[in-house]
Formats: sequence, structure tokens, C-alpha cells
Amino acid sequence: MNTTIEQRRIGVPGAASSLLDSRVEHTTVGQINVDNAVFKCREVNVYYGDKRALRNVSIDVGRQQVLAMIGPSGCGKSTFLRCLNRMNDTIPGARVTGAIELDGRDIHDRAQDPVELRVRVGMVFQKPNPFAKSIYDNVAYGPRIHGIVRGRAELDEIVHTSLQLAGLWDEVKDRLHKPGTGLSGGQQQRLCIARTIAVKPRVILMDEPCSALDPIATARIEDLIDQLRQDYAIVIVTHSMQQAARVSQRTAYFHMGELIEVGDTDRMFTNPGHKLTEDYITGRFG
Amino acid sequence: MLEGHIAKAYDGALSALHMRVLEMGGLALDQVRESVHAYTQWNPVSAQRVVERERMVNDYDSILDTEQLALIARRNPVASDLRIIIAIAKTAAELERIGDEATKIARNVLTADLRPAPPTCRDVAQLARLAMNQLRQGLEAFDRLEATLAAQVIHDDRLVDAEYAAALQRLRLRAVEPPLRIGAALDAAFVLKSLERIGDHARNLARHIQAIGPRDAWLAALSAKA
Repeated sequence: MNTTIEQRRIGVPGAASSLLDSRVEHTTVGQINVDNAVFKCREVNVYYGDKRALRNVSIDVGRQQVLAMIGPSGCGKSTFLRCLNRMNDTIPGARVTGAIELDGRDIHDRAQDPVELRVRVGMVFQKPNPFAKSIYDNVAYGPRIHGIVRGRAELDEIVHTSLQLAGLWDEVKDRLHKPGTGLSGGQQQRLCIARTIAVKPRVILMDEPCSALDPIATARIEDLIDQLRQDYAIVIVTHSMQQAARVSQRTAYFHMGELIEVGDTDRMFTNPGHKLTEDYITGRFG
Repeated sequence: MLEGHIAKAYDGALSALHMRVLEMGGLALDQVRESVHAYTQWNPVSAQRVVERERMVNDYDSILDTEQLALIARRNPVASDLRIIIAIAKTAAELERIGDEATKIARNVLTADLRPAPPTCRDVAQLARLAMNQLRQGLEAFDRLEATLAAQVIHDDRLVDAEYAAALQRLRLRAVEPPLRIGAALDAAFVLKSLERIGDHARNLARHIQAIGPRDAWLAALSAKA
């Protein structure tokens, strides 16, 4: 039987904690839907034991678009990001309810292999985390273990293309077999991005990818994000509102586990629709 | 709307900018009042004072430019803060032009040979009352960042326009009689035009205030603050 995403929500949102939690819930301001959605998420809740970390979040992620997620610490933006490639599955006691579809397919479907999902939904972390291997092997690792390539020539080609897309090729082409850990912080982060795109994902998730980098390295990553969005959907969590304003086409504001507002970045930063968004982005949030 | 930032220095910088525009507005209003007095009383001393003070109005404009640029560079304002700063910049530009119009009126007294006839003075005084009232209310709306009063100023601009058209018509009828006074009549027409423009700048100022925010959200924010 064909069901819609609205019908496929898992469980009853908030039922577990509704007796303990009398907080007034906000209705998300703005358009949660987009044309050409890669991800469709509806009424997503995340519980860490008894604690409800995410409350009824519904939002689409569009193709060839950067979605920036902003909000104060503990607002749920990183928790939501980790829902998109089922990273929360790895946390003991974590429970996710609601529906999340990637290209029309439920990512919580029993037939869905989480490892295969994480190939299609790559992730770049706050701190660059290259493997203790050569630059070449860092990029080649994914294609090798997932059996994406048939021979050495094809692997060479993927390493070359990925490093070029990540804007790193010219800087490392003469030292491909030197350790990735020997690169600068900004170069290491671009190496991690090259490693992510080497397996040809549909979506790239970025969790504060520039917070450990200097302004020049940050500018390079932001420029790279802008180029990558031609081919990938990108979701970025950032504490820098200026960065969200610079790199994204859509912005989502989270507050205490709720998605308060989502909309075009231009509008969000000039004329936000919710007072909580306004207070946060203008620095009035106390 | 200017307060409540976590960084109190940001509140202070925005309020200082707001206050400086109000000071500039007070000076511009006084320039208009004095220039009209100089013209209707044919008082060269007053006229000279207006011309000399024009530099002060322009100085306010330059200082505001510098302070706004610094605030934008240092604070990266967004949302209502950004809209307020843009409104402040545009308001300062309107006030600077109002200062120019006042100087134009005053210069007549210093350069023309013939003083205006009493009926012309009455028309000028009447139009000036309306234009200054508009400016005064526009500045009050700016002081309180009050959208409702700003809407009233925009609405009342038609009163200034109507009075200008009527005064010009009366001037045209009077100007045909003694040919020697044609120069004075032309000067009077320009003075009336300057006053009508001052009314337009007050209306524009009110529009800049309205552009700060969607009215509903704005009023809600105001009542929440109260």
C-alpha cells in the first residue's frame, strides 16, 4: 500500500513526555516545503532517554541548495543534522520518531542499511579528522571499502577529481603519499570534504566545519561550499550567523528543540517572521 | 527597538545614532523656521544666520555617515537593527535636503531687490506652518519610531500639496498686475516650491520610518516593550 510521508510518521509525537512537559509549542514560521526536495522530514522527535531533544521538526532539504541551521547551543540543530544520516542510532538511549525520506525512501526502513545511507549522506565534522594515512588513501578509502571502483586507474581518477573539487589538488598533487595529518587545519578540512565527495553522496552534512579554522581557511571552505552546491544538497550547522548569511540559500532557526522559523536566507536576515528569530540574530537573546 | 542587545555597547551606539539624527532634525526645523521668518519679515540678519548654519546641517550628515559605516562594519547589523540603520541614513539625507531648501529661501533675502508683497508673505507663512507641522510630526514619529504617526504624516502631505497649488494660483493672479514685481513673484514661486519640497521630504522621512518593519510585528514589539 502506498502511503504518504504524513501517514508514515512513527509513533505519536511527544506522547512519551507530554505529561511531564507542559511547554507551549511553537508553530514553525515559513515554508517548510521546497520544490525538488532531497530530504523530506516530518514531525521528527529525538529523545535521549527521557529528555526530548527535538520536538516535531518538519522541513525539506532542497537540491542544489545550502540549508543553514542556526540557533543557540543545545537548541537541537546538531541533533537534527545527525538524524539525517542516522548518526543518532549510534548513541545509547537515543530514540527518533517521525518520518525522514531521502529521495522518497524512508531512511528508517528496515531494508535501509545505515552504512549505505551514510555513503549517500556524507558528513564533515567540526574538527578535521583525516585518517592517519596518506592524502591519497584518505580520499581513496571510501571508494575502496564501498566497492565503488574497479581498478587503480578509476581510483586515481576519483582521487584526482575529488581533490580538485575540494580545491586541494594543486596544493597536494606532489605529495599525495604524504600523511594527511601533515596538512594545515584548513587543508585537512578540505581533505575531509574531498573524502566525503569521493563516494558521490547525494547530500553533504556539515557540523560547524569552520569553527576550528582561521578566516582565510574559512573563506576557502565557504567558497568551496558555494561551488559544491551545484552538485550536492548541503546542510550546514553553524554558530556564525554571518557564515549562515554568506553561504546558504535557506536558513532554519532552532530554539529549545523546536524549528521556530525557516525561509529564504535573504528574508531571514532582513525581515524575520518570528520574534525569537529576530531576537537571536540581532543579539538580543538572553 | 533600539535596546535589549546582549552587548550593551550596541544599544548605546544605536541610540547615539538615533539621538544625533533627532538633533539634526531639530536644527533643520529651526533652519526652516528662521528662513521663513527672514523671508516674510525681510530680515537679512536672520537670512545670514541660516546661510551660515547650513554648514552645521551638512556636518551632521557627514558625521552620521561615518558613524553608520563604523556601526555596520563593527556590528554586522541584521533584521530590525539593519532596517533601522538604513532608515536613519535615509532620514539624515532628507534632513540635509530640508536644510538646503531652507538656505535657498534665506538666500532670496540676501540677493533679491524687492521684498515680497504682504499677501505673498501671508501665503508663504501659511504654507510654512503646514510644512513645518509635517516636519515636526515626522521627527516625532522618528523619535518614537511610531508607525501610526508616520502614516498620518504621509496622509497629510496632500494638505501641503493643496495649499501649495492654491498659493501658486493666487500668486499667478497677483503677478499679472505691476510688471515691475515679476522678479519678486518668481522668487516667491521658488520659495513656495521650496516649502512644498520640505513637506515632501517630511513625507519621505515618514516612509523611511514605516519601512523599518511590518506594521503588525512592529506594533506588537512596541506594545511588548511597553
